[in-house]
This record gives sequence, C-alpha cells and structure tokens, in this order.
Amino acid sequence: MTTTIRDRTAIVGVGTSRFSRAPTDTPMRLAAQAFKSALADGGVDRNEVDGLVINIGWPLGVDYDRFAEALGLRIRFADQSWTHGRFVGPTLQHAAMAVATGLAHCVACVCGVSFIQERGLLGGPGDFEGTREEGGTHEENPVYGLTAPAAGAALSVQRYFALYGATSAELAAVPIAFRKHAALNPAAIMRAPLTLEDHQASRFVVEPLHLFDCCLVSDGAAVVLVTTADRARDGARKPVFIAGMQGMRAGPDEFLFATPGLGIGQQREFRYAPTQEQLSVYRMAGVTQKDIDALYTYDAFSPLVWFVLERFGFCGLGEAAAWTQKGRIELGGELPMNTSGGLLSEAHVSGWNSIAEIVRQLRAECGERQVRGARVMQWATAWGDSTIFHS
Amino acid sequence: MTAYGKPLPRITPDNRPFWDATRRHQLALQRCAECARFRYPPAPVCPACLADGAEWAAVSGRGTVSTFVVFHQRYFPSFANDIPYNVVQVQLDEGPRLTANLVDVPNAEITVGMRVEVVFDDVTPEVSLPRFRRAKA
Repeated sequence: MTTTIRDRTAIVGVGTSRFSRAPTDTPMRLAAQAFKSALADGGVDRNEVDGLVINIGWPLGVDYDRFAEALGLRIRFADQSWTHGRFVGPTLQHAAMAVATGLAHCVACVCGVSFIQERGLLGGPGDFEGTREEGGTHEENPVYGLTAPAAGAALSVQRYFALYGATSAELAAVPIAFRKHAALNPAAIMRAPLTLEDHQASRFVVEPLHLFDCCLVSDGAAVVLVTTADRARDGARKPVFIAGMQGMRAGPDEFLFATPGLGIGQQREFRYAPTQEQLSVYRMAGVTQKDIDALYTYDAFSPLVWFVLERFGFCGLGEAAAWTQKGRIELGGELPMNTSGGLLSEAHVSGWNSIAEIVRQLRAECGERQVRGARVMQWATAWGDSTIFHS
Repeated sequence: MTAYGKPLPRITPDNRPFWDATRRHQLALQRCAECARFRYPPAPVCPACLADGAEWAAVSGRGTVSTFVVFHQRYFPSFANDIPYNVVQVQLDEGPRLTANLVDVPNAEITVGMRVEVVFDDVTPEVSLPRFRRAKA
C-alpha cells in the first residue's frame, strides 16, 4: 500500500532579501528580512509557523535554534541538515512531509547565507570537510592539492568531454542562457551580457572550468512557507501545490556532480538510461517531462545543468552538450531553465532563490521574464532529488 | 621537523596499512577474503558482499587516467608555487580509482585514457605519497 503526498501541501508565501556581493548584513538579519517578507507575501501570521527547516547553518548561515529564538517562533518540528547546498531539495521535502503527516501546520524553510564572510570554507585550509578520510564531500583530496567544490565538477566534465567529444565552448551555452535571464531580473547580481568570447577568455578556476562556469560567491536570504493545501487556498496569493517528489540518490552508481555511471571517484561505470524508478517524481505528480514548463536546478557549476538533463531523461546520455545549444534552455526555448539567473548569475542562496522563482513564475508575477501560461515546473538536481510544483 | 608544508594524509587505524605500504614503496589495497574484490577507500566490510574479512594485497601500480583537472586558482598557500598543477584520477588495473598527481608530464599532454604507473614521493620521513608517471612501454 503506497500513499501519496501529491497536492496535499502547498507553498503559501515566499520572501527574499537583497542579494549582494558586499557583506553588508549578517545572515540572521537577511533571514529575518526574508522571513517577514514571506509572512506578508502569504498573509500568514507569525504564530502559525510551527515548523522550521534549514540546510545551511553555521558558520555559513543561520541555525534553527537561534532563528527560532530570534524570531520568537514556537517550533514543534525542527530539522537541519549537514550544511550543504545539495540538501535544498530534501529540506523542502521534509517540510512537505511534516505538513502532510500533521507534525506541523506551517513550516518555514529558511536560508540566510553569507559566502562572502566565510570564503575560506570554499576550498581553503579552513575547509575541514575536504580532509575527510579518502575523499572530501565533492571528491576533494588536499594532500594532492585537489580542493574546492569546483574541482568535483571539473573532474566530471573533463571525463564527459573525453567520452562524448563535448567542448568548453558548448558548455558556455549554460552560463550565457542564465545571464540572459538575469538581465530580465532586477534582483540579480550579474546582469551584463555574457558572450561566448567572454566565457572562453575568462580565467580558468579549475581547468576545464572557466570563471563563468562557477557560481557567484554572494550573500542573501530566501524563505519559503509550506502549509496544507487547504490553508494555502486561503492565503493572500495563488497557492503553488507540491505535486510530486523523489529523494536524493547515493551509493555505488553515484557521484554527487555526475550523471549515474560516469565513473568519477569510486562511482561504478555503466551506460545510464533512466528507469521508471529514477523518474518516479513524474508518476507521483501525474505528469511527464513534456508537461514541464520550466526546469530549475542547482547550477553551482555549469556542467551540473548537463548532468541533470540526462539524469531526468530530457535528452539521452552524452547528448546534453548539443541539446543545450541554440537557446533551447533560454526563455522562449523548448525548456527554459533557471529563469531568475540561478546561482550562476542571480545569487547563491543555496538554490532557495530558484525555489522562490518557481513560486513567482507559477503565480505569473515575473514580468519580462515570465514563462507564458506556466502551470507545471520542476526542481531537479544532478544528485537525483526532484520536486514538481503546479499552480 | 620537516620543511614539507602541504597537507598530509590523515592516518587512521583503517588506512594505516595503505600508508605503511607506501612507506615501503608498495601499493597495497584491501582484497575481500570472500569475493576477492579489491576495494578503496579502506572500509570495514566489502561493499559488494558485506564480508568482514580482507587482506592487504599488493597491486600492480598500473592503471589508466580516468579523468584529470588543472588547478589555476590558489586555494592552499602551500600549493601557490605549483600553479598550474594537475590532479588525476587513475583507475588501477585492479579496479579502484586513486586520486594523485601525474609527474613529469606537461599538463597539456595529459589525456583521459593515458596509461600510467605508480611512483613514490618521500615527502616526510614518515609519509610517502603515491603519484603516477607515464607508463613505460
């Protein structure tokens, strides 16, 4: 007997702070602003919020205990993951599961983050996770100078280039598309046009990744309020329903920053083709890839966009490089992706800025960058979690 | 005291036999006593069959570059003078992949699929790091 969470919960309100590359505010101040803005957006009273979930805690962000104390929240469902962006999807899913099972009435997903003030954690000697025995969290190994999350994506895309004959110039289509989207988003940090020549001339960070293949190092906050579908229907705005979910993957077939089977680290090597089980999010939501009006992903590094397209079967294995050319992932294209500009050009709010964008798109609030007639949108990551939303 | 200023491996009860072997300029990996499968990193049970028993067995030290990167940004001050430096992953002929550096090969000549063999670098009196070089024909 299986139960479903389809359409039992919804997002009733979202709020974001100003996004910035200057460290002007603490994560707590940014998170408090975003929280109050989400309450106002949804017409939700502070005392309704009895759940709190967080994926980016100290020292990059705000921990659940301090946030509840600082905002005077009486929380009966608190959950905080390991401080990694990869947990944005699972954290949102925990909120929906808590609401659907009655453990909470309204859960605030809170992300206030300052990557600027903790820059040393992004691959320097202060990044103690990189020293994890026989492999850091993105395959780091400081003994050999393999440090920083970018290195994990670089290892994957180098092998992908070799296997499929793809090139850095093809990869440039990803950051160029998202920069075009950011140009239509007043909140985005990077809005100047980006050309193929700019991309190719930019310095290497970890070769083969150029500077513009790597996300922004920025400060910002976003808050998403999840409640019951019934409560959300009484909100100030159109509810955005959570239609389907599938969890993050791990195990011998996986490397965080790769399509299954690519063969990075100890990842088993095989020719991946998505199975029903790999695509269960569509079955739960009652839709197919063809129904997705826009796709959103964790674009910390541009190769992750290729990997998610192949993992979820939007194109075949080895085809993403060609598939992403000619405006296909741009607004007006067949599958617009990361329409706010994403982590590459809007801001790095650990992906929560993209969840906020999904909500605003499905309420048709996005002005110049609005996806016309949008009804169904998907969050999905290279590491296999996904959530589908509809208006 | 040593002048070697770069990060050293964190040696634990699980991985000590690996580093003891490299100190002797040997590459050894755990091999499952039940299914004979090699595994890396060191682990208390076989990920394939969950058997507890394993022996540390010498491996050939030969393999293929499965992927590589070149660092241009400085993250650790101790690597600043090496930039641009490579890091490779090598799929050993016995199966597991090791992360290391490729020595004596210009970065522009590194390719996925290149055949390599292990060499040992005595970086401190206690620690010898396995690295790789182009395999001799």
